[in-house]
Amino acid sequence: MWTRLRGDGMELRRLIRDSVLAAAALAIFVVELHLPDLVPIPGVKLGLANIVTLITLYALSPWDALAVLTVRVLLGALFSGNMMALLYSAAGGLLAFFVMAALRPFTSTRQLWAVSALAAIAHNLGQIAAAILVTSTPSLLVYLPVLAVSGVITGLFTGFAAQFALPRIKKVLKDGK
Amino acid sequence: MIKSRTFVYIISAIFLLSLALAAYLLLRPAPGRVAEIRSDGVLIRSVDLDLVRKPERLTVTSEWGENVVLIEPGRICVESADCPDGVCVASGWLDGAAPIVCLPHRLVITLTGGGSDVDAVTG
Amino acid sequence: MRRALPLMAALLLLLSACSSAPRASDTVFAMDTVMSLDIWGREEDLQAAEDLIRSLDASLSATAEGSDIYNLNASSAWDVSPDTARLISRALEICALTGGALDVTVYPAVLAWGFTIGDYRVPDKPELEKIAETVDYSAVELDGVSVKLPEGVMLDLGAVAKGWTGDRCAELLRSRGVESALLNLGGNVHALGSKPDGSPWRVGVRDPFGESYLLALEVRDCAVVTSGGYERYFEEGGVTYHHILDPDTCAPARSGLASVTVVGPEGVLCDGLSTALFVMGLDRAAALWRECEGFECVFVTDGGEVYITSGLASGATLADGYEDIELQVISRD
Repeated sequence: MWTRLRGDGMELRRLIRDSVLAAAALAIFVVELHLPDLVPIPGVKLGLANIVTLITLYALSPWDALAVLTVRVLLGALFSGNMMALLYSAAGGLLAFFVMAALRPFTSTRQLWAVSALAAIAHNLGQIAAAILVTSTPSLLVYLPVLAVSGVITGLFTGFAAQFALPRIKKVLKDGK
Repeated sequence: MIKSRTFVYIISAIFLLSLALAAYLLLRPAPGRVAEIRSDGVLIRSVDLDLVRKPERLTVTSEWGENVVLIEPGRICVESADCPDGVCVASGWLDGAAPIVCLPHRLVITLTGGGSDVDAVTG
Repeated sequence: MRRALPLMAALLLLLSACSSAPRASDTVFAMDTVMSLDIWGREEDLQAAEDLIRSLDASLSATAEGSDIYNLNASSAWDVSPDTARLISRALEICALTGGALDVTVYPAVLAWGFTIGDYRVPDKPELEKIAETVDYSAVELDGVSVKLPEGVMLDLGAVAKGWTGDRCAELLRSRGVESALLNLGGNVHALGSKPDGSPWRVGVRDPFGESYLLALEVRDCAVVTSGGYERYFEEGGVTYHHILDPDTCAPARSGLASVTVVGPEGVLCDGLSTALFVMGLDRAAALWRECEGFECVFVTDGGEVYITSGLASGATLADGYEDIELQVISRD
């Protein structure tokens, strides 16, 4: 993908563009780390960085979105000093990505809120599945409904944020060509 | 294209179902009074909270960090921890069916009915 | 959205159906301990029991200013409430039954050792001998509601108060129509009726050397009371001093027993006997049991042996991890 640099400048342009998006996602992620917890329930957070993934997915392509997501998750774990979280956020992030990528062909740019909500639910599902496997504690399943509820709320929030931002950012990305 | 209305139905259904389920799961009484402290899935300590006489601090050290578990007569919590998020400390006293979890340190404290098949203990 | 409403209603109905039997529980801090009440009845019944516990605590405490017992000890002659008089009368009978192994006038010794407020010290021998002269339950004069104590004699109902409280609460709850309740008055367990499903209550007897219980007893309408040196003690100079004082020596009883559990329908008797039998030691305790009716016992010796009287043997099961213990049955003949 982004490693194959060709002479025509297209691939280089793409590399730089995705890097900037990943950097933006990372910045948002790090800022959110420092916000106080909304509720003391493990796994409940806004997930603002998903705004960038969502925008990349709709403005560019699934491949670009996956690249941005992967870089953000890896560097995010490094930056937060919480390598354990890598596992949880990778499991959640990938599951959410698959949901978003699968829904993209069937949705318009005015339905980002719905895609985001479903992705957030999937993210929390993946996260709790990872936590159950890692800690071998099936009783963590009791948090699943709570995380689904929080997924709907936070997913709608980030979804609408992405939906409103998308037209402007799309314009910037296109102008760059 | 999927209709927006379809999304409203699906998301509302998930939301309401989960909300009801969450209320039921988290508000129901704990299955028992035995607290099990697990680190990385391994049972570190199982303590019948009704039999605790003196407050005790248990430091659970794993390769990821430290959690100080406070065991008092009848209750248990994580008093302090050097984990990045601090969710385990913010959870407060363990009650009901929702376990205390420190995801970064793979620490879980649950209440179970296991170990105690009596209704009360004398002495 | 509208389609989701019936679904939601159905769910809520399902959830509310889960809580059928009326049950009320609470914990009360009284008589220096945590008491947990679990009754199958209404909130009002629970409240009535709590009020009763608080009023008994207020009148029976030896340390609370203004209580019957406090006033009596302060003035050596006092008219107590009819209820307190009933308890004093029953307590004196139990003292006599045990030949003074239970003595409700051992309080000056308890004070000297610092067991009331945790200000522990080891009194020397002359001091204890002097105190022992004042310890004599038969010196307590009870006439109706008026109680007289000779100079230097002090009364403390701590050894029977929780058992009495259990009896009184059970009586109150029964009169209010409660058929099933489990009162755990700081380790004095009082079981009312049987479990709501009709099966007997299972009460564990604590392992005096550990944090767990070593055997479970099946009981209905019974008090189960354990006395053991592990309940309250301090260490000085490498010696452990526990709170169960032998009225003869006014020093911690060293009878070879680690704990005594007494089971019977009358809580106040079980409470008093658990202390007395601990002081008496296994042989004398077993002899007393053979002479009397109305209670059964479990003895755990300092060596970890477990003796159980024949009336309990069939309903007792060893707990997980204690299967290796051989229960030695004491029979009547």
